[in-house]
Amino acid sequence: MALAAIDGMGRRLFAAPGRFLSVFVLAIAVILIAAPLVKIALVTISPQTIAAWGDVLTSRLSPNLFYKPLGNTLLIGASVAGGCVIIGGFLAWLVMMTDVPFRRTIAVLSTLPFMIPSFAAALAWSVLFRNERVGGQIGFLQGLGMEIPDWLAWGMVPSLIVLITHYYSLTFTVIAAALATVNADLVEAAQMTGASRRRVFFGIILPVTLPAVIAGGSLSFAGGVSNFAVPALLGLPVRMQTLSTRIYGMMEVGQTARGYVIALLLVLISAFFLWLGNRLITGRRSYATITGKGGRAKRFDLGGLRWPLCTLALTISVFATIVPVLVLTASSFAPSASALLSNWTLHYWLGESTPSIAQGLAGIAHNPDILSAIGITIGLGLIVAAAGSAVGLLISYSLVRAKRGFVPTAVSQLCFLPLFIPGIAFGAAYIALYGAPIGPFPALYGTFGLLVLAATAFLLPFAVQTGRAVIQQVSGDLEESARLTGAGFVRRLTAITIPLSARGLTAGALLVFVKIVRDLSLVVLLFTPTMPVLSVVAYRYASEGFAQFANAITVVILLISITVSLIANRLQAKSQPWLQA
Amino acid sequence: MIKIVNLAKRFGAVEAVRGVSLEVPEGAFLVLVGPSGCGKSTMLRMLAGLEVPTGGLIAFGGDVVSDGEQRWTIEPAKRNAGLVFQSYALWPHMTVAGNVDWPLKVAGWDPAQRSERVGEVLTLLAIYDLANRYPNEISGGQQQRVAIARMIAAKPGILLFDEPLSNLDAKLRVEMRTELLKIHRATGATSVYVTHDQVEAMTMASHVAVMNHGLVEQFGAPRDLVADPATAFVATFLGTPPNNLIAVEPAEGGASFAGGKLLPGLDVDRPVDFMYRAEDFRVSESGNSATLALEYAEASPIAGRYMVTGTVGSLRLTAVVDRAPHLSPGDTIHFHIPDRPAAVFAKNGERLS
Repeated sequence: MALAAIDGMGRRLFAAPGRFLSVFVLAIAVILIAAPLVKIALVTISPQTIAAWGDVLTSRLSPNLFYKPLGNTLLIGASVAGGCVIIGGFLAWLVMMTDVPFRRTIAVLSTLPFMIPSFAAALAWSVLFRNERVGGQIGFLQGLGMEIPDWLAWGMVPSLIVLITHYYSLTFTVIAAALATVNADLVEAAQMTGASRRRVFFGIILPVTLPAVIAGGSLSFAGGVSNFAVPALLGLPVRMQTLSTRIYGMMEVGQTARGYVIALLLVLISAFFLWLGNRLITGRRSYATITGKGGRAKRFDLGGLRWPLCTLALTISVFATIVPVLVLTASSFAPSASALLSNWTLHYWLGESTPSIAQGLAGIAHNPDILSAIGITIGLGLIVAAAGSAVGLLISYSLVRAKRGFVPTAVSQLCFLPLFIPGIAFGAAYIALYGAPIGPFPALYGTFGLLVLAATAFLLPFAVQTGRAVIQQVSGDLEESARLTGAGFVRRLTAITIPLSARGLTAGALLVFVKIVRDLSLVVLLFTPTMPVLSVVAYRYASEGFAQFANAITVVILLISITVSLIANRLQAKSQPWLQA
Repeated sequence: MIKIVNLAKRFGAVEAVRGVSLEVPEGAFLVLVGPSGCGKSTMLRMLAGLEVPTGGLIAFGGDVVSDGEQRWTIEPAKRNAGLVFQSYALWPHMTVAGNVDWPLKVAGWDPAQRSERVGEVLTLLAIYDLANRYPNEISGGQQQRVAIARMIAAKPGILLFDEPLSNLDAKLRVEMRTELLKIHRATGATSVYVTHDQVEAMTMASHVAVMNHGLVEQFGAPRDLVADPATAFVATFLGTPPNNLIAVEPAEGGASFAGGKLLPGLDVDRPVDFMYRAEDFRVSESGNSATLALEYAEASPIAGRYMVTGTVGSLRLTAVVDRAPHLSPGDTIHFHIPDRPAAVFAKNGERLS
């Protein structure tokens, strides 16, 4: 009898929290992700606004509202994907398969561009290449007396160049990871047949890494399609519109219904191409191979091309990483971008308001708007990193535990949905849902709470991914052996899972922090003057012609991101003394 | 057929192979066996032409194919040799038939011949039904067969195997051993087979080279190696169960077991190791002056007899006897030591008698 009672109790304790947990995480996923998306779709089909579909798709306005921006968007997507695969793939091949000198340096440099926000690169571009077309200051090169043609200063070409230099590090990472797993035996087995290097490359290495190439390509496609900052800074001044900038424009002028319709269409387009990419790479063939000794593959001998290719790779990397940072820094000291290196002043950093400079705008240290934006941005980053990691851990714990069934499947699909959604469309969905009061809850528009919710939801895929990696790495036997000692859920989590996964959790939280601090596309629609964030302040200054302020703020964003990365690295090293043996 | 003279390979400061010489006739099945890191895989890779030796030479059928002094080697595809990798190295984006076909295509065979040959080897390995599957859709044992089919398709004169059975389960491993020998006979090729499993070496080889620390400790027929081990390493590495070594020291009136027990009538002039075969020991539950008392550890049945193990200190002795003793682990068991050791080894492993 007593045994039965214990048994019953044991079971109840065992199962009930699991069910509760999975319902709880489902609720989180619905509130954060499903609800805004459903709401934005519902809004566009309500009787008052359903006409917006016709306006966008079949009216006299539709070429300008939708089809021309769509054409630009697809052109950007395809060119960015192509450019990124070529550059990222080339660098990955160079680093992983050849005997090029400075491989480690090239590898590290190749992963950096993605750390620099795309608006930083766009701002740096305009510091260098801006011409007199739209008025305002001219750029450095024009200042040197070069004639910069419009096509190089504004519009599609500079947008593509900046986007490719931003996203190629993504394809590099994906393709390099794939090349690293190409078992050396596969290549040697092909060499044993007498196949030429060309044939080994095209017959074996390329097909085996093709899934990664396609994945890298479709990721950079989606990146290019959904990017807002670059076309906004380099295209909008000459009226080049993409779907992202169109959504922004519609929302700014109050035509929210049209904005929502375009946002939905952008979501569908972006999701379609990611789905297509995924479709192409999942098939009967799997690329997991049985492990052998492998690893000792001979690197491709570049011969006389070693140094030229090394120089090429380093040049690409330097122009994509170091040059923009230097240019922005210099520009934040120079009164005129056309004379980037002369008359340096600290005014834009430390100056008090002077009517003669920049219409009386004070330098960063004395500018209350910027100071409050710094506080709000860091606060937002910290809260979202903490909230995201906690929610991510909880969700992945429930997913790993439940494995299959309707609820976990729905949760896991929902959590990865934001990956398919351009930031600006996600922002629009949040305005659609939380912009107005819901029942007893007040409207969240313009509050810090809305920023936190939207950012947490938007970065949930990364948080869940981290959480999953952490749980899978630790969970299993270690957690079960703790369970056998009788330790409860919370105790196991705090005594076993979290200490062992501190490294992964910190890395994940760090990723979320840095992503939110430098994000523009999500927050640009949620921004209100009472709740400023740095990236939007920088964007505003840039579009109003105060380039030095924009650049100085961007340097602040870069400094915050870099400092946080360094601190986290130190913390990680200290938190795990057992790894240092 | 295969002649290796003073072959050496150095990776930076590491000498993986330190001067190996041996020769096997055509049709031989040479097994290179030794613990991990002994240089056996490096040997195989040099035979395959994937590594260039840093010393010595390799000749196939009288033609030099690798010359370490000149840092010169004939490329892998032109050596008339095929290699099965430990990982099988099946190209994951090609079907079974595609994997077997591709090397022939590279070699420039015409399509009709190719498809005939692919059918032939797939049938030989009993995987014809799997021709259109991808490597990830078939089992480990089937993948193994595909790897072998791919190797023999181009009819190489020398077959090289790098621990091919190490990823298979125990039962499959025994079946594949037989299968491999069948293929070896069917092709008439000379085979070189690398393994760390001495059972594979003993059952498959016509010639065995036992390697340790980059050197061949002993080269010969399996039977000779077991009957007449040249070094202490070979003595304890081969055989199931392997031979027993007992460290002994000179003592008055004979040699003494390092633990103190006197072994009368055996003169030694310095510390040495005595080798005893497991089947030469007898065990009993009571002891006398000619027995060693050990702590009973375990007994396991082996082909109708029992393998009985006892320990004392760091010494571990195994006997093969007809009946298992009625003891529990931890009880005392007495090993009857034969009058004469089967061999005596110096402390450096060299055989004395």
